[in-house]
Amino acid sequence: MTYKFDKVRILVVEDNTPMLEICKSLLLAFGVGDVLSAKNGDMGFQVFCKENPDIVISDWMMYPMDGISLTRRIRSDPKSPNIYAPIILMTGFSEKKRVVQARDSGVTEFLVKPFSARDMYKRIAQIIERPRQFVRSEDFFGPDRRRTIDVGYQGPFRRESDFKAMKDQKDRMRAASLNLDHLRKNAGLDKTDKIEDIDFN
Amino acid sequence: MPDKPPPKNDMFQMKTRRQAEFITPPNYLKTKVGYGGLTDEILNKAQALLENNTVDFRPLGEMYLDSLLRGVHDVKALPNWETRDESLISAILFPAMQLKANGGMFHYQLVTMIADYLIKFLEVIEMIDKDAIEIIMAFHTTIRAILLGQIKGDGGARGADLLKALTDACHRYLEKYPEKKTS
Repeated sequence: MTYKFDKVRILVVEDNTPMLEICKSLLLAFGVGDVLSAKNGDMGFQVFCKENPDIVISDWMMYPMDGISLTRRIRSDPKSPNIYAPIILMTGFSEKKRVVQARDSGVTEFLVKPFSARDMYKRIAQIIERPRQFVRSEDFFGPDRRRTIDVGYQGPFRRESDFKAMKDQKDRMRAASLNLDHLRKNAGLDKTDKIEDIDFN
Repeated sequence: MPDKPPPKNDMFQMKTRRQAEFITPPNYLKTKVGYGGLTDEILNKAQALLENNTVDFRPLGEMYLDSLLRGVHDVKALPNWETRDESLISAILFPAMQLKANGGMFHYQLVTMIADYLIKFLEVIEMIDKDAIEIIMAFHTTIRAILLGQIKGDGGARGADLLKALTDACHRYLEKYPEKKTS
């Protein structure tokens, strides 16, 4: 069984025509049913409002409206038909400060150019399999900027997923400990044996 | 023995100043696509499409190089060819980003590698000055030569030499002017 993308509609916003065509070809090769396109953020927002696509894939640098401004409009404009729409931002920038800038505008995923077919697929698969929660605070609305769970976190556990992560970590530690006991037993060692006492020759 | 009550100034017991609301939107996309992912066959076919594209990157590359050159000329129009103005630096940085982003998509991986280093250089320097302009122009000339020579792929040993010469120039600049780089 494989993904069926035939009912999925994706909007690609890109001002560079050859790049736009490449993105469209890739998505059609994935089996996407409808690939919409726009040449800049402004036109992209108009198409987004009219067609309400499932995913938006946008370039960053465009004129007159760039991908960051498009993201902000999708997340905050009253005309936006889906403020939770997943947005993948394509860019040549990979420096941390740029990624943070994109993340803080409400982008869901970041795709660094040049990319491979698998890179693009991975971002789409992340959106499908691990969708981010949304956060609304005084100064931010967008996908939760934390995806990974810090298993070393020592503070109180607030969410169900935190408890699951804690349990998973304990399970992994228990399994590692049992495996170590097994290895010791096979090697005829005792827990009190020190590494330096062992003759490896 | 009962647990000691937490101190009143324990931050985990304090009321948060800003309240954040967490929302889980319905995952309609998952309902539409189902399970299983895409097969390797589909992904390989898509990758082949990417690799076999016949787009000529040179006109696009030349356009970005011209844009980069205009950014350099704007700085050269200033006294001492010096600026800390982010908008002027961006006028050089953004075309460099476009060269990095698009070169590799259209078979010019060496352009991507070189432009990537130019971006790294521009992202760490606090200001552009005469020496920095000289380095930026070396990047410009090299990328132009790659496009004119239609050197596709990573350029092999010659490509590695070109990249090393440029990165060495950047390192020499940053060693000479450590105060001009960001922390």
